[in-house]
Amino acid sequence: MKISLAGRLSALILTCAALVFALVVGYAYVVSREAIVEQARQNGEVLAQATANSISAQFLATAKVTDTVAATLEDADLSQPFLIDLGRRVLASNPGIFGTATAFEPQAFDRDKTFFAPYSYRQGSRIISTSLGGEGYNYFAKDWYQLAKELNKPAWSEPYYDEGGGSTLMITYSAPFSRRTPRGLQTAGVVTADIDLAWLRSMVSSVRVLSTGYVFLLSRYGAYIAHPDPDLIMNETIFTHAEDLDLGTLRNLGREMVAGRAGFAEFSDLPGVGEAYVSYLPLPDERWSLGVVLPKAELLARINRVTQVMTGIGLAGFTVLAVVILLLSASITRPLRLLTRAARDISTGDLDQELPSLGRGDEVGELAASFSSMKTSLKAHIASLTTATAARERIESELRIARDIQMGILPKIFPPFPKRPELDVFATILPAREVGGDLYDFFFLDENRFCFLIGDVSGKGVPAAFFMAVTKTLIKVVAEREPDPGRILTKVNDDLAADNESCMFVTLFLAILDTRDGQVAYANAGHNPPLLLRAGLPPAWIESMEEPMAGAMPDVEYGTGSLSMAPGDAILLHTDGICEAMNTRLILFSEARLLETAAVHAEKSTTDLIRAISGAVTDWADGAEQSDDITMLAVRYLGHDKRS
Amino acid sequence: MDIETRIKGAKALLTETGRMDALSAPGFETACQEVLKNGHVTVVADLAGLEYISSAGLRSILGAAKKLKSAGGSLSFCGVCGMVDEVFRVSGFLKLFTVHASSAQALEE
Repeated sequence: MKISLAGRLSALILTCAALVFALVVGYAYVVSREAIVEQARQNGEVLAQATANSISAQFLATAKVTDTVAATLEDADLSQPFLIDLGRRVLASNPGIFGTATAFEPQAFDRDKTFFAPYSYRQGSRIISTSLGGEGYNYFAKDWYQLAKELNKPAWSEPYYDEGGGSTLMITYSAPFSRRTPRGLQTAGVVTADIDLAWLRSMVSSVRVLSTGYVFLLSRYGAYIAHPDPDLIMNETIFTHAEDLDLGTLRNLGREMVAGRAGFAEFSDLPGVGEAYVSYLPLPDERWSLGVVLPKAELLARINRVTQVMTGIGLAGFTVLAVVILLLSASITRPLRLLTRAARDISTGDLDQELPSLGRGDEVGELAASFSSMKTSLKAHIASLTTATAARERIESELRIARDIQMGILPKIFPPFPKRPELDVFATILPAREVGGDLYDFFFLDENRFCFLIGDVSGKGVPAAFFMAVTKTLIKVVAEREPDPGRILTKVNDDLAADNESCMFVTLFLAILDTRDGQVAYANAGHNPPLLLRAGLPPAWIESMEEPMAGAMPDVEYGTGSLSMAPGDAILLHTDGICEAMNTRLILFSEARLLETAAVHAEKSTTDLIRAISGAVTDWADGAEQSDDITMLAVRYLGHDKRS
Repeated sequence: MDIETRIKGAKALLTETGRMDALSAPGFETACQEVLKNGHVTVVADLAGLEYISSAGLRSILGAAKKLKSAGGSLSFCGVCGMVDEVFRVSGFLKLFTVHASSAQALEE
């Protein structure tokens, strides 16, 4: 899928922004959470301490009052109304005390009475006075009595239900008292003060811990004394509770609390609360333990709220940022898109396409400017290229015409002399791509003398073509005046060499055949030796007389050679384009192959002979480019006998 | 084609190696012009290392010879053998130019 530049830019920035935002919110959440938990721990501690202090204060006050009463009883004149009145006064001045009793030893108050224990306690807002002891209530066996008497010092009882007394759940502080007797100071009974657990509970439950938290109180053995769940109180210990709930963490908390340690514990699933922290500490005097439950959900509610709000603000900001960035990047890439569209049009060749004018000084503006100048120079370049191409095409076409004219001056009609059966003449020229300077010619000087020649002008191009045309014309003119081939070449050489500053030269082989007797006179100006094909004999070179090419230097005397042709003999003239034809591996066709091919086709007509050699050279080249003209001229002397 | 130029006294020895065709032939004329510019009008060309010579090569030689001659000097050859010897012979160059048996002999004369 192709994603635009704007899209990619936006995605990148937004991803970064989202990441930063997530990090900030996450960090803030973690830090605030830690702070809140730490604060909760401190608050829990303070709250627990405060609650413990107020409970302890109550207990202390109760104990103090009781101790004072016990001391008072040592010397006082005791009567039932006095004792009852004492009890009522204690209750009146100590609202935390539920009831108080003065329990005497058997016969200690009255020799007739086993039980004597005036007891005052609260019922609603009233104070009721009664007397404990009797058949159904043997107080000597009660904890509160026995503990103080046996230890002979004040003591707190375990919580208990006072059946027949206050008829409520309570704990009792008992202090022994003595009476002065003639036998000295004797233990006379126990003074008690009760604290109603309900009162304790209401005091504990009045402590507000957030809105769903609470405070609970354990006895020294782990029994619940105060807890929001009334079913637990005095029915369960923290251990049986943990057992029921199968909650190991609660059991551990119980162990810690019963052992009298203070601390802070975390719970993942506290019944009725869920996740919570518990701050706990002991009440040392009574060896009770107090716990403050802080529900996590409530503690973290605010921070969760804050996080939610932060996330909300962040998301809103993120959306705004996304829109702004998308708009911004679209506005950045818009000129690029315009440029791209324009460039696409230009690439199809529409150079007149107007480039969008951006009027910007930034990088995109520079790009547009470079683009515009590129378009302009491209246009100029194409224009000049078009002109140059047109000029070159004109030159090439002129060269082609020159080539055509050059080729046109060579005789091309075969057989050339249908009325001269003693001669079989054929010639061919395979021009190379570039204009070359090969030439051949043949003509009758008079009735019987047949002149034929071949030549190769050095170099290529128009100069070579000119030089070739000049040479051909010159030879024809000279040959008509001079009878001897050597003299002809000498004259032609002098004429060509005069004012030949460019050092052009032409190799020439010229022969004159007397058709009456087959006598051939020839001269060679630096040309490849021609082949003499004698009937019934292998082909042979007509050896060169090692004389220089024509046109290079003036004043060269060319000699004339002679040979005699029998009817059926032929002479094959050729240029070096044959032997120097190269195949694709740059190997020359060579004289040897020419000789071989000529030998095979020696007996054929000149037309077939030349075509066979042409074919062999073409096959040899095998597609390699022909670098030079390939020219051949063959003359076979048939004699006069065949005619008759 | 590579051309190595050595100056021996008044004479310059140009050693050609490779192929002297239409493409590389002008290099010979240029090399001759260089030595001519430096005042050496007698030039010997050692062609022992030349594998091939085309008609363009012959023309280049003729051009160089003409220039040296008009400056009162000369162009001669040594080490002519193989294909080059054949071309020189057929084209009549052997009649136009002096060919020495060896470069040592050419420089001596």
